[in-house]
Amino acid sequence: MDFLANLQLAFSVIFQPDNLLFCFIGCLIGTLVGVLPGLGPVATISLLLPSTFHIGPVSAIIMLGGIYYGAMYGGSITSILVNIPGEAASVVTCLDGYQMARQGRAGPALGISAFGSFIAGTLATVLIMMIAPPLARFALEFGPPEYFALMFLGLTVLTYLASGSMVKALMMACVGIFLGTVGTDTISGIERFTYRSYTLMDGIGLIPVIMGLFGVSEVLINIEEACKQQIYQTRLSSLMPTLRDWKDSIFSIIRGTFVGFFLGVLPGGGAVIASFASYAVEKKFSRHPERFGSGAIEGVAGPEAANNAASQGAFIPLLTLGIPANVVMAILLGALLIHNIKVGPLLIKDHPSLFWGVLGSMYVGNVMLLILNVPLIGIWVKILKIPYPILFPLILLFCLIGVYSVNNNIYEVVIMILFGVVGYLMKKFAYEGAPLILAFVLSPLLENALRQSLIMSDGDFFIFFSRPISLLLILAAFFLLVLPLLPGLRRRPQGGDLD
Amino acid sequence: MKKPDRTSSLVWLGFAILICVESLRLPLGSLREPGPGFLPLLVGGILAGLSTISFVQARMGSPADRQGPWDASKRWKNLLGVLFSLLTYALALETLGFLLATFLLLVFLFRFGMESQRWTWAIAGGAIASLCCYVVFELWLRTQLPGGILGF
Repeated sequence: MDFLANLQLAFSVIFQPDNLLFCFIGCLIGTLVGVLPGLGPVATISLLLPSTFHIGPVSAIIMLGGIYYGAMYGGSITSILVNIPGEAASVVTCLDGYQMARQGRAGPALGISAFGSFIAGTLATVLIMMIAPPLARFALEFGPPEYFALMFLGLTVLTYLASGSMVKALMMACVGIFLGTVGTDTISGIERFTYRSYTLMDGIGLIPVIMGLFGVSEVLINIEEACKQQIYQTRLSSLMPTLRDWKDSIFSIIRGTFVGFFLGVLPGGGAVIASFASYAVEKKFSRHPERFGSGAIEGVAGPEAANNAASQGAFIPLLTLGIPANVVMAILLGALLIHNIKVGPLLIKDHPSLFWGVLGSMYVGNVMLLILNVPLIGIWVKILKIPYPILFPLILLFCLIGVYSVNNNIYEVVIMILFGVVGYLMKKFAYEGAPLILAFVLSPLLENALRQSLIMSDGDFFIFFSRPISLLLILAAFFLLVLPLLPGLRRRPQGGDLD
Repeated sequence: MKKPDRTSSLVWLGFAILICVESLRLPLGSLREPGPGFLPLLVGGILAGLSTISFVQARMGSPADRQGPWDASKRWKNLLGVLFSLLTYALALETLGFLLATFLLLVFLFRFGMESQRWTWAIAGGAIASLCCYVVFELWLRTQLPGGILGF
């Protein structure tokens, strides 16, 4: 029984005391970050990335992964109690979660999102265990053209799903690819766009760019708009949902898991899309769709399950193909590369304890989150009450230290501030940061795959269409690119408008 | 659509042209063996095309008089203050050292960042927070923070 042996390996890795500790720290910090406004999981993971250089790769990824799904849960706490999503994936939770809190049912709302996340996490872990190994074996047959096609599809999916204009999202992807080409060209050794800058020779660092675009810019926007929060005064007597709540939401959780998981696996998809999709599905399935928006527990349970399943599903393309499905996975890819681990189809075979250990940690992490959050809700609520004028200098300071400590290079701090301004302007003019970052990370991989493919085919672009897998992927990407142009199909799924 | 979209797409168009011009100075190689300038030129070209489309879309859309992204009532002065202090921090960090620079930055941000805190609060908060960071990052996580004039 391969499956059981793998499961055993997974648990033997995660139950090592130090891994357990890092998983716990990750979940704790993740929840904290999810609760704090203006510091998303992306910024936090990049912030803590340098501190994982001293620990082993397995523990590092376990901790960073814990931050990711911890933040998902923390985000729902603020959505329910304050109607402010701690991060994007819990925007939907606000709709019904906050209404439940206003009706004095904050406890069950928090409870069902924890249980929903737990059930989804459990199912998703089993699904990953079943899907990942065969997918990795399949991916061994991938050559440069297939990799290029897959990354091209991933970028297209992300721009297609962008909440604003698709043209703008594509533009951001182009900017990201360009930024990724800055530095010394790996094939010819020629410096590109460095202008003799020592800092730029190794390329623009991922961490300064991310901290700028997602950390500093968020703070700048908040300073300008002076976010004020009001916590809904509610007594949290019990987090346990009633039997009726369970009956209402159990199928929503299961549906949410499957919707979320498959959207998570898709390159470019991820938790945000998954939660919106699940909400729409629940509304369709419900016998009383009119209750949605006024405190329907299904509207909390489904999306919460979906965003958790999606954040786990997103590990599949990373761990089997070496291709990050979203920005968080892109940073994890960076972390693996820093630890000298070659990411790709051979990862499961070469580093079984890493792959199965990470999977095991997701499962244990979910249990931890559940246990952690029942007694800690009170503390999270207190943290929510810290006023932003006091909080934001600390957030900025963490960004500054985080970036400086990567290479002890002051110019990277300047790059971060620069990208903070760029990110601020992008938010002002409704350009999304996610396609830029994903393209930026994929850029070197994409370029190598493209150049190798062209060398293989003697300069013939037809190579992408003559191999069945790459043909299929390229066709899918073109389909998505043309879809918005077709009459009658103009409306793309948009993040913001649900009704 | 709106005027901001027109402005922003023109900015991106300019950026795209700059990318193309700069890429042309690199060896382009051939299709058989693409050189280092190949991909940047390609994405520069695509970006130029997309920004043009975006510009045309913005012009064709109805000229709604929606408020632009700049609202005079917003606190842009605070914003500039924060940016200025961050840049100064970056440039002064290695001279002043982590503890002193961080303390000054935090006092400034607490006092002038968003809502003015009392001086006593700003100074105490700045001192405590910079000391805590020093303990966590320098002593515990062994991050190499600059010592500067204070020498530690």
